[in-house]
Amino acid sequence: MNAKRTEKRLERKNDELMERSGNFENPFETKGRFSKYARVPIYLLTVVMIAPYYWMITSSFKSVKELQKVPPTIFPEKWIPGNYWDPNYDPNMYQQDIMQGLFQRFTKVEFGFGRFFLNSFFITTTITILTLLIGSLAAYVVAKHRFKAKRAIYLVIIGSMMIPWQVGLIPGFLLVDDLGWLNTFWAYIIPALPKAFIVFFLVQYLSSIPDELIEAARIDGAREWTIYFRIVLPLLKPAMIAMMIFTAIGEWNNFLWPLIITQSQDMANLPVALALLKNSGAGNIGTQGVIMAAALLVSLPTIILYFLTQRHFIRGIALSGIK
Amino acid sequence: MATKQINSNISYTPTKKKGFYKFSESGIASYVMLAPFVLLFIVWAVYPVLSSLRLSFMRYNAICDETLSPCGSVGFGNYTYLILQDSRFHKALLNTSLYVIGAVTLGLIASLSLSLALQADTRANRVLRVIFFLPSVTSGIAVVLVWGWVFRGDDVGLLNSLLSWFGIAPVEWLATPSLAIPILIFMSIWGGAGFGMVLFLAGLNAIPAMYYEAAVIDGANRRDRFRYITLPLLKPVMVYVVITGTIGAFQIFEGVYLLFPTSVGSIGGLKDMALMIVPYLYDMGFNRFRLGYASAVAWILFAIIFTISLINIRVTKSLEDLR
Repeated sequence: MNAKRTEKRLERKNDELMERSGNFENPFETKGRFSKYARVPIYLLTVVMIAPYYWMITSSFKSVKELQKVPPTIFPEKWIPGNYWDPNYDPNMYQQDIMQGLFQRFTKVEFGFGRFFLNSFFITTTITILTLLIGSLAAYVVAKHRFKAKRAIYLVIIGSMMIPWQVGLIPGFLLVDDLGWLNTFWAYIIPALPKAFIVFFLVQYLSSIPDELIEAARIDGAREWTIYFRIVLPLLKPAMIAMMIFTAIGEWNNFLWPLIITQSQDMANLPVALALLKNSGAGNIGTQGVIMAAALLVSLPTIILYFLTQRHFIRGIALSGIK
Repeated sequence: MATKQINSNISYTPTKKKGFYKFSESGIASYVMLAPFVLLFIVWAVYPVLSSLRLSFMRYNAICDETLSPCGSVGFGNYTYLILQDSRFHKALLNTSLYVIGAVTLGLIASLSLSLALQADTRANRVLRVIFFLPSVTSGIAVVLVWGWVFRGDDVGLLNSLLSWFGIAPVEWLATPSLAIPILIFMSIWGGAGFGMVLFLAGLNAIPAMYYEAAVIDGANRRDRFRYITLPLLKPVMVYVVITGTIGAFQIFEGVYLLFPTSVGSIGGLKDMALMIVPYLYDMGFNRFRLGYASAVAWILFAIIFTISLINIRVTKSLEDLR
């Protein structure tokens, strides 16, 4: 019960910190004759921000003929699903102006483009769950247990954050190769599990939680695992949710490592599949509709996740940045 | 100077020791909890880094053959060749430096301005903040593909269509060496300003209103209040944004890989106009399989990032001491 209350308190404190506003001076708020135009630049910029998304959506529903028009139409003359799936498409015939829809491509791959969704989904969820589990266990030990090597271990973990991950890229690749893991899910998942930042973040968060909470449980005779599952995990919930979202989005969008370890199309994740699609299009303007359809489908899940978890998300960024 | 020293000594209080019982008392559970992370961390984070350091002093190509392609130590050979003779690497260094300077400074200005403009907690601002943040959660590859269409060199390119309304002839955006870096900088700001904005917003909201009230009573005008209250109090956030932004900018890969391909299996665009450090590392390691050489590139990347972070922290510290 006590744990619950502390959690609530921490959450409220964070919310207050984040959501309190309007308490400071804004040099952008101009007074005088031009004040009503002061926000025009911001709205122009907003158009620049939205334009790529607008273009992704609209052009994924344009016909090949419309895509070839100069200048391009800003609003589709006719919305057609052909870039996703064209019922008129016949693989045995050359047809002008009919595109092979996104889900009609990658015919050599099981489930076609859907396969990349399955890959990405499996990889992302597995990594997110496992990395948070082992990360939080380690963070708990580092933050709340005392032993000799603790400082040294934690220093190495923090220190590793200063090294760009590309430094380990080539030996990582060689190691994966030696293990025979190239082109397997193992190569995606196992090397991605130890994330120093998660341990660092959770240790920071745990250090703001009083030791007495855990001490009391120990005096009551609780075992370490009980303490972890019953007290530490519930307390860590806000931090864990933030880390979960970061990890999931990061892994969903991961590109360089998957690019190196995949050798056949069927093991590609979505970003790698996008790159494959782009290279197969060879700059033909007609294929742009299919590419935009794919880009949209790849972007949607993370955007939806962001909308669903916005509050946790922003709080997580602020927590990790301001400390 | 001397008084400062003493003052800082007095204000220094040793951090309270965290943790409350000895490792041995908590039994084997602590080891079990720590083990998964630490073991994975040693194999997939510590070992690759050390191994890459070893590789960087070696000639190590994909196939080691006594006569055709011998592998073995070359001392500092890779480094001296990279630093003194490799003109492609020099081009990559120059490009990356220009890109980092542009992306970080303009990005800092953009995100600070955005946070100031969108700080008031109105409904419109909340919507705008979400829009500006969207690129941070969107797949980088998806976004790059849209930009690829925007900057197409022919008359179906979106920017060229826009220019044609004003009677301007199509520009080969991605094939003009002087435009490569500015385009990449623009993409970086479009994609990253929202993230910095969120950090700055958190920083702004943490400034107590009474500072401003006190300043108003003392007769400080709007500009003074911004100069002497807002900016100094935002400095920690600024340092964070600059350091993380610099580290991130040095690692640019996706935009170069997709927008600036060169004929067969090489990266960097026409005359290496967009060649950067990580794409060069990829090119050396995974197109040419010169793994030792690529490792040396990775360590130079680390050295640069490390030095810049240190300088950044030092400069901020010394500026603080001046006041």
